[in-house]
Order: sequence, then C-alpha cells, then structure tokens
Amino acid sequence: MAISEVKRLAQALSQEYNSANPNLAKCGQFLSQLKIALIELSYLTHEERPNNIEELTLARDVLEIGAQWSVRTKDIPSFERYMAQLQTYYNDHSVLPASPLKYNLIGLNLLCLLSQNRISDFHTALETIDPEQLHNNPAIQHPIKLEQSLMEGSYNRVWSSRSEVPSQEYLFFIDILMDTIRNEIASCSEKAYTSLPLSDAGTLLFFTNMEDILNFAKERNWKVNPVEQKAYFHSDTDEKINIPADQIIKQTMFYARDMDRIV
Amino acid sequence: MSEAPRRSTRLNKNQEDDTKGKAKAVDQDVEMEDSADATTTTPEEKVLGPKELEALVVADIKQHFALFIKSAKTHEARFAIRALRAVSSLRKRLTSQILAQTIASCYVKDDETRKRLLGYLGSEAAASITAEHETTATKSDTPEVDVYLHLLVMIYLLDQNQLDKGMELSNITVKTVQELNRRSLDQLAAKVYFYYARFYELTGRLAEIRPTLLNAQRTATLRRDDDTQSTLINLLLRNYFHYNLYDQADKLVSKTTYPENATNNQLARYMYYLGRIKAIQLEYTESHQSLLQAVRKAPQNNVTAGFQQEANKLLIIVQLLMGEIPERSLFRQPVLRKALVPYFQITQAVRVGDLNKFQETLAAHAATFNADKNYTLILRLRHNVIKTGIRMISLSYSRISLRDVCLKLHLDSEEDAEYIVAKSIRDGVIDATIDHEKGFMRSKENVDIYSTNEPQHAFHQRIGFCLKLHNDSVKAMRFPLKAVQLDAAEVEAARDQERTLVQEIAEADEDMDEDDDL
Repeated sequence: MAISEVKRLAQALSQEYNSANPNLAKCGQFLSQLKIALIELSYLTHEERPNNIEELTLARDVLEIGAQWSVRTKDIPSFERYMAQLQTYYNDHSVLPASPLKYNLIGLNLLCLLSQNRISDFHTALETIDPEQLHNNPAIQHPIKLEQSLMEGSYNRVWSSRSEVPSQEYLFFIDILMDTIRNEIASCSEKAYTSLPLSDAGTLLFFTNMEDILNFAKERNWKVNPVEQKAYFHSDTDEKINIPADQIIKQTMFYARDMDRIV
Repeated sequence: MSEAPRRSTRLNKNQEDDTKGKAKAVDQDVEMEDSADATTTTPEEKVLGPKELEALVVADIKQHFALFIKSAKTHEARFAIRALRAVSSLRKRLTSQILAQTIASCYVKDDETRKRLLGYLGSEAAASITAEHETTATKSDTPEVDVYLHLLVMIYLLDQNQLDKGMELSNITVKTVQELNRRSLDQLAAKVYFYYARFYELTGRLAEIRPTLLNAQRTATLRRDDDTQSTLINLLLRNYFHYNLYDQADKLVSKTTYPENATNNQLARYMYYLGRIKAIQLEYTESHQSLLQAVRKAPQNNVTAGFQQEANKLLIIVQLLMGEIPERSLFRQPVLRKALVPYFQITQAVRVGDLNKFQETLAAHAATFNADKNYTLILRLRHNVIKTGIRMISLSYSRISLRDVCLKLHLDSEEDAEYIVAKSIRDGVIDATIDHEKGFMRSKENVDIYSTNEPQHAFHQRIGFCLKLHNDSVKAMRFPLKAVQLDAAEVEAARDQERTLVQEIAEADEDMDEDDDL
C-alpha cells in the first residue's frame, strides 16, 4: 500500500474513534488493516532505514489509538502489546513531535500493572519516566499516589480516586483494582477485629446493599450472627507451636559436619 | 620499578576531579624542585630538570614495552597486568612531548601509525622530537606495544579533555584490537574498551556504541576472556543505567554469568550495578548483600571516594527500605561525611516516624536525590515512615483512640488511620486489635522473645556465616610465591644459628648436670 492509502485509512480510523459514539468493531477492522499496511512500510524493523518522520509519526498515532481502543473493548493483552510497541517510539526516537496522548497512555500502562499486582514491573517502568513529569503530570501522579495508598493500606483513598481520574479509560482499571483490594481489606479486618457490625463491614468494604455483604461474608467464612447483626472473625489464639524438629535436625547435622572438617 | 600502585576505579566525575587535582599537585611539586636549583649541576644535586624527567618517563614506558613483549612470549598474563597497573601513576606524568618522543623511538619516520598518533598529539609535540630520539629500527612485530601506545595517547587525550579526537582514536583502536585476535592482548583490550566507552559517555553518545559492546561481549565470552568479559558487562550495565533501561539491564544480568576470576575492581562495580537493579525490583535482601560486597571489595582509599559515596548512598536507602536503621558511624567516615548529609536527614525522619519531617527533607534535597537517581527509591520510604510511627505508638500505648493515632501520624482522616492500622496488623508490624465501635486500638501484651524460635534463627545465621568464612579462607590459601625462596637462604642461616644455640644450651645444661652430680 502506498503511504497515501495508509494515511487515508489512519484518518478514517481516528475520525471513527474520536466521534461521539464510536463503532468499536469497525475500529477493530481498521486497526488490523493498518497493522498490515504499516508492516509493509517496515515499521517493526529498526535497522539502517531512513528516518522518515512522517511515517514514524503516523505509525505512532495509529498505535496510540489502538491502545486506547483495546482498553475500551476491555482487552488487556492487546493493550499490553500496543504499549510494548509504543515504548520504542517514546524512548528511542526523540526526533518525533511530542504526542499529546503520551503521558496519558504511560499512566494507563502503570495502572494496568498495578491492577495485576505486578509491583516490581510497576517500579521498573516508573524509572524510565522523566523525573519532571513524575511530579507535575496529573496523569502520572494518579497511579503513583494510588500505589502509595495501596502500600500504606489507606483503601478509602483508592476509592475516592475514582472521582479524580484524568480520563475515562482509567476507570476500567480501577474497577479491577477494587476487587483486589476488597480481598485485602477483608483479610486485614479478619486479623484486626474480633467482630464487626455488618453495616460497618459494608462501609469498610464499599458495599452498598446487605445482599453483597452477606455473600461476601459467606465466601470468606465469617460467622454471621443475624440477631446482633454482627460478623465474627475466626481468631487464631489456639495455635499450637510445634517444635520444628525437621529444621533443627538439619541445622545440627550441618554444624556437626562443618565442625568435623576443621582440622 | 618501585611498588606497583593500585589501579584506581574510575566511576564518577568526582573521581576524575580527585585524580586531576592530584596530578596538578604532583606537577607543582616537580616544578618547585626544578626552579629551586636549575642552574647548578654538581654531582650531589638530586634535583632533576624537565628534560631528565621526560627521559625518565620515556624509560619507564620502554620498560613496560619489555614487559608486554615478555608477556606475549611466555603467554603469562601477569607481566601485562603489572605494566597496566603502573598506568595510573604514569598517567599523571604524561605530557605530549614524552609521548611524541616515545612514539618517535618506536616507529620508523614514515610509518602510518606514527603519523596518525603524532597528529592526535598536536604540533608542539612533534616539534620536541630531536634527532636523538629517532630510531632506525623497523616496526616491531609485537602489536601489544602498538596497542599500548594507542592506549596511552587515548588516556592523555582524555585527561586533556579533547573528546572528539579521543573518540576517533578510540574507534580506530577498537577496530585494531578486534582484528587482532591475540590472547596476549586481552588485558589491553579490556582497558581500550573502557576508555572507548568513557569517551562516548562524556560526549553523550552512549547509545551508539551499544551494538559494538554487545558484539564484543559475545566474542569475549566465546574466547573465555575473563578480563574483557567482566569489563564489557560492566560497561553495558553502565550504558543501560545511563538511559534508565533497568529492564534490559536485568535481562542482561540474567542471561550472562559473570566470570569468577574478575579483578576486585570490576567485581565491586558489578555488585553495585546488581544491587541497584535488585533494589528497583523490590528485592531488598539480595540488593543489600550485593551492595555490602561492593563496598567491601572497593579499595578503601581517597581515589575511590566517588564510588564509595555512591555505593553507600544506595546501601543506606536499601537498609531503610528493609526496615533497619543504618548505623550512625557510617555517616561519620571522613570520605563520606559531606555527601551523605541529605541521607542522614532522611534516616532521622524515618527513624522517628515523623511524616512531616520526611516530606520537608524530601522537598529540600530533591535536586540531590534526582541527581543521584535515587528519588523514586526514597519515595518508597514514605510507607516505612508510617510503619515506624505506628510501631512506636503501639509500643508506647496499651490503648489509644484512632483519632489520636490520626493526629500523631499526621494522616488525613480517621478512616485512613483505621485502614492503615488494620493493614499493619495483618503485615505483622504490630500486635494489636481494633475495637471498631468504640474507635480505639488496643495493643497485645509483649511476648517473651526467648521463648520463641527467634534466638535460634539468629544463632543459626551467625554460625553459618562463621563456618562459611572458615571454608572460604581454607579455599583461598595459596602456596608461597617463588620470590620467597630468595629469602630461603637467609631462613636457612637463621635456622642453623638456632640449632647451634640450642646445642650450646644443651651442652651447658649437661655441664650443669654433671656439676650437680658431683
């Protein structure tokens, strides 16, 4: 395909996507066609080819739309693939004009890693970001603050961050995150409280109606006392402390063997 | 040659400045001696004029040539290593005149290489070549000498800050080394790559040489060339770190095995890089061990000040992240004192658990932390501050309301405090329960620690370490070197003396016994 064809397709795609009510299936078709076309323009290989800025910018814009589209269609692996391809465009080709969506997408990527609990990948990705942007850009500050609140355990901040999202796509990941942290809150509460009134349990877990609370309680094996409207947590005061015989034996043999080696 | 001075590690600009400062001092000393008694030439005079000094240096360099040739003939690396060790002291005494004279005496007048090298040195150098320095010898057939001269010129250009010329020369030298596949060039090749990368780093074009370094590393591994391999891996890691590509650095580390016989200097650098990667990936225990090794293996003198500072900074942060407070004596070492001031303040904030102070210190020293690339790591410490704060509170109060907890820790709200305390309980930071309706936190009674398994774990660690130390020292024992046999004659004489003494004493005793018997 000649480059004019590719341009035409790319324009059609961006119009479709940015319109008020995008037809996601049609966007998907555009994207697959464009990917094949771009391969012919050799956008995947990075040897000694002439740096055609126009082609590179075009490819990058298409990929960005692709990434956003995959979030809309709730396709996480595809989002990660697009992000991986976009990384080289952001890092290596500094001659390209700055993309307005760049930090939005980087922030989305960070959030995606967080929601899958890949904390070490999150931190590694954090290192590659420009330090200035770290402080000032709201799109990136959002996942960073989120990660801090998660580490500390102030989950209500996570809940309130729903209202502060820089763009629509973030909400998708935050919902995934909420499920994870519900489990976290539940396990914290089990250790920390001996018993909780059910309504309070509901607020702690961000549930709104009693049904959800009861279902959740059943899943986690809490003893619910309907009369007092309380949930009792299993307390572990009756653990028996076993002597770890196995380990002691191994250690003692290790000492004996090494001591005998001393001449 | 007098005792070989240690190879200095060259990691940071700080160090460059240190050595340059020393170079200036040495030069000044020399000049003062010159001006003192330049005119008198009585035989008792020990002061040397500039010409004699140059001649001395040239003679030194020629001695090194001899070492290299010997090393190539006998296929033993230690002569080459000895010559290379002297480079660091030689570096301070190099001038373009000396180099020009050496080059003139090695190559015939119309030789290509000679013209090229002289071109890099500048015209005044060429002017200083007098007739007595010319040689009629044909080009020597040991390329080691060739590469060594190139290396010296490169170092000289680096010290003179002529980076572009240096880059060109280093390109040429690297190509030469790669074409000549000789084992005797290995140590020289390692040095050449090092300066090659340094030139590119100083001109900000590191990314260009990455493919070259990767290729070279592959060939070095195939040829089992330990020195070059270790240098190249370190250079590659440094390259990745410069561009913050920790992901790729991690992959490099996982795919390559670092050669075991690497010199301590290279090993120290490698441990530092490894520690950094692990710290970013949240594996603090491993990072801590690597960094401890790095600090121990680095030579503990003023020349390595820059490296020690960097390694110790990272070590402090990792210790804080693990929950341990670094010892105060660490901050008092004279080499480290000034550089570690911001880190000392951060340590104080973490130790007390005061979030406000932490934020203030962070804001005040943000520029330093950014320059050290430690900013993101320190951000992670926020969580530690809160943890310490909660632990202090739970130890001091048997019961405290959540509202008070919120006030003491400067948290935003009571719900925040509740969640945070609940998480800390689950993580095992504190031992307590929360009473939700009445809104307070109650600490449990302290358990006598000796009745648990804790002491046994601690003992086991210490015992393991001592035994490992013993095994390692046994493995590291070596037979005495041949040089000691020269003293053997003296030892023999001493033993003979002892024997005669003992005999005399024995006779004296017998005499005494006989006397007693009488």
